[in-house]
Amino acid sequence: MQLKRSLISTLLGATMLAAAGPAFAEPVTLRALMEDVPETQIIEKLLPEFEKETGIKVEFEKIGYGDMHDKLVAQLVSPESYYNVLEVDFLWAGEFPAAGWLENLKPYVEKSGFDLKPIIPSMLDLLGATPDALPILPMYNYSMGLIYRTDLIGDAKVKADYKARTGKDLAVPATLADYVALSKYFKAAGGDVVGAAMQGQRGDPNSMEFSNYLFSAGGAYLDSGRKVVLNSPEGLAALKLYADNVQNGAQQGALSATLDDTMRLMCAGKAFSMVTYWWMLPQLDDAAKCPAVAGKLALSVMPGGHGESGGWGWGIPKNTSDESKAAAWKFIEWVQSQKISVARALEGHAPVRSDVYTDPAVLKKYPFYKTGLEVVASGKSFPIFAYSAQYEDVLGAQLSLAAGGQAKPEDALKAAADGLTQLLNK
Amino acid sequence: MRLPAFADREWRTGWAFAAPGLLTLALVMGFPLVYAALISVSSLTLLKPMLQPFVGAKNFVAVMSDPLFWGALWLTVKYSLVTVLGEFVIGLAIALMLNRTVTMKPVYFAVLTIPMAMSPVSVALIWRMLLQPNLGIANQVMESLGLPRVDWLGNADLALWTMAAIDIWQQTSFVVLILAAGLAALPRDPYEAAEVDGATALQQFWYITLPMLRPVAAIAVIIQLINEFRTYDLPYILTKGGPGTSTEVLSFFAYRRAFLGLSLNEGAAASFVLLLIVLGLTVLFFWSLERKR
Repeated sequence: MQLKRSLISTLLGATMLAAAGPAFAEPVTLRALMEDVPETQIIEKLLPEFEKETGIKVEFEKIGYGDMHDKLVAQLVSPESYYNVLEVDFLWAGEFPAAGWLENLKPYVEKSGFDLKPIIPSMLDLLGATPDALPILPMYNYSMGLIYRTDLIGDAKVKADYKARTGKDLAVPATLADYVALSKYFKAAGGDVVGAAMQGQRGDPNSMEFSNYLFSAGGAYLDSGRKVVLNSPEGLAALKLYADNVQNGAQQGALSATLDDTMRLMCAGKAFSMVTYWWMLPQLDDAAKCPAVAGKLALSVMPGGHGESGGWGWGIPKNTSDESKAAAWKFIEWVQSQKISVARALEGHAPVRSDVYTDPAVLKKYPFYKTGLEVVASGKSFPIFAYSAQYEDVLGAQLSLAAGGQAKPEDALKAAADGLTQLLNK
Repeated sequence: MRLPAFADREWRTGWAFAAPGLLTLALVMGFPLVYAALISVSSLTLLKPMLQPFVGAKNFVAVMSDPLFWGALWLTVKYSLVTVLGEFVIGLAIALMLNRTVTMKPVYFAVLTIPMAMSPVSVALIWRMLLQPNLGIANQVMESLGLPRVDWLGNADLALWTMAAIDIWQQTSFVVLILAAGLAALPRDPYEAAEVDGATALQQFWYITLPMLRPVAAIAVIIQLINEFRTYDLPYILTKGGPGTSTEVLSFFAYRRAFLGLSLNEGAAASFVLLLIVLGLTVLFFWSLERKR
């Protein structure tokens, strides 16, 4: 009897505990795979504020860009993704939604009343937004421009020497050809400063870098009807200038260099310029981190008027629990709010909201955000489709062959254009 | 009357002991292998993750009709032969020296084991920093010696051999350990007889050491050959297959097909070609070893 009573009370207790489960359940922990760049660190600093407000813990796993795609894909094809909030590059904005891996964020926006109006429309387009679907909400932009050394371009001796050698006045280059000529001049001058810190490693680094040359020279990957027009006189001029700069203007080892290598070189004061993300300026213009160049740098739109436009966004994977999805949206909504966007911008964030670029506090701290907006507004996009990541590799291989002198620019450009056509038809 | 094998108690006990191991092998090796084989003849891609329909040899044809595949195969063969040869020659020299050393042997072995114990990714990252052309130590040393700076990984003619040298640096210790164990186990009698007959050290090495060491050396070579054919970490970290396609070995080619091209089926087909080559080499190697015995 005693035993029976104990058993019944144990069972009752267990049932009550099980019923009360959700009340005692662990709070959701959001896990995101993030690129190890300043933007991530900026958000990371603000995370305690979000955790305090909502009780939701957020963990960032920071790695290099090159390893992100494979790591994410492995999770997205698994039954349940370990990462329950996603940082999605615009290059995957064709692939991830096409594979059906992402939640449509539109219902989340409508339900929460999140205001999309301040978000720069080109950023929404870049990340695959349509009237019916919002697979990715813009997070920050990485449009590219030219960062150059003002001390070198303003130096009287350099000016005189440049005039003597070229017969031209030294000035911020207005065209791509002028830029490459200037870059080559600095390398030929024989000091310890090369003309350009270039990221020529095959794949994402050289594809992104070359895109700036292509757009600056007036070329394009696709026309308005999505027909491949890469193999054009403008495209060839861009590739020839790119190869020329790698060979005669850039640092030794440019063909194996990544963004990190170029940053280190520029930071050490060993390069006159770099074509890079516009928000790299405050990272380099920092006396504590880069004393050799702090106070001696400026940003301009890519010579020629157009650079590569890019951006990251937030996504929510389909293969996570509803509870996780709700928490993920709460986080996305918070981190992209105006208040947090301004707080991020004051630390060097590259905004996707137009209201942040005009914020007085932001402009007071970073006057170059005015140029930043010009860089963003004039940027053009790499072709976005399901095989964009593969196309970066196809293009990257051809660029590397041409820049290394292993292929003629004409042949490399034709192969790169054919590769794009094949992948678009796949 | 002869009983069937399964009726024999010893036979059944043997299988009972072997069964857990065989089952584990079937699960951890057999299942992925069969699954990969199925993928290689299916239309499965990361965008359409379904095994149906069966497409026969289409993926193999697609992979093998790509000129890059043959380029990658040739690079893999060159790379594997050079690295295995380098590892063997250096490994044998070190093993012979260690065989004669009497003092501090454990210390030498401990030091030699360090590169082998490191993950190839860490090794690649460390060397990438050391060989950085502008700020790396290697070029600073070269410059201090009055030598020109070298573009170790950015020069298409040099990148593969730089990668091979890094690989040799890491993998030689494995060869040393195997050969040193083999040398230590060799009988002393033939050497004593050779000394009595007045054979020189070189003659002893050529006519006694090498032939007797052959089975152990063969094992070391075949293990390393398999390892080198599968090399993936070094090109992934150091060069991403570049400059151009100068370091795109076969395993990296398969990775590109599978994960950048989102074509798991073609990636699996390329991997199977790699597997068949390695399998063929292994069989050939053991067959020639048995024939010489």
